[in-house]
Amino acid sequence: MKTIDTRFGEVEYDPSNVLHFPEGLIGLDQLKHFLVMPNKKDGPLFWIQSVDDPAFAFVVTDPTQFFFDYLVVPDTKEREKLGIDENGACFILAIVSISPEKKISLNLSGPLLYAPETNRGLQVILEDARYSTQTPLPEIEKK
Amino acid sequence: MLVLTRKPGEGIVIGDNIIIKIIEMKSGGVRIGIDAPKDTKIYRHEVYERIHQENIDAAAGWDLNDLDILSDKLADRTSKK
Repeated sequence: MKTIDTRFGEVEYDPSNVLHFPEGLIGLDQLKHFLVMPNKKDGPLFWIQSVDDPAFAFVVTDPTQFFFDYLVVPDTKEREKLGIDENGACFILAIVSISPEKKISLNLSGPLLYAPETNRGLQVILEDARYSTQTPLPEIEKK
Repeated sequence: MLVLTRKPGEGIVIGDNIIIKIIEMKSGGVRIGIDAPKDTKIYRHEVYERIHQENIDAAAGWDLNDLDILSDKLADRTSKK
């Protein structure tokens, strides 16, 4: 077991549970190793803690729970980087941000691909005008 | 920054395997062709910068308690679908 000092306090982790992002995040290529923090509450949000920079942690969610038609399919090159073949499972995660008014939005133009088989991840850029780095959650109809 | 003047049809070679060509100039824009190895990541600069900045901002905005509060709200919401 190893430990790092984070905003969650001292975190002990098993190096074999570390998610590996071989290219880091976009513009932050020094951040290659992450931990999924255990959640205190059930829910769709998860803390991801950087191992390389203990001050860096962010929140992700499964965007398809909120945007039903959101689809990201990794291409051959991306599958190669994730270490999976065309049958390997690949999940899509979106980075969640919170405004000072406590409204949350999802970064749908820079999603993360995650391959559970290899524990590897990759941030990709979608140049699709429908998606923004701060896409607000769709409004829910109030009955 | 290295600044070079090129005309349409001319190009630049970067390293051993990247070629950038000026295709044409049209209505204030410059069309550029790029030949590079498949694994070279190529993005429009402003798109790349936006995602870089959002990665930093998204990590900075959270308070530890926010997640618990929002988890309750969202759990309710996702279970309804």
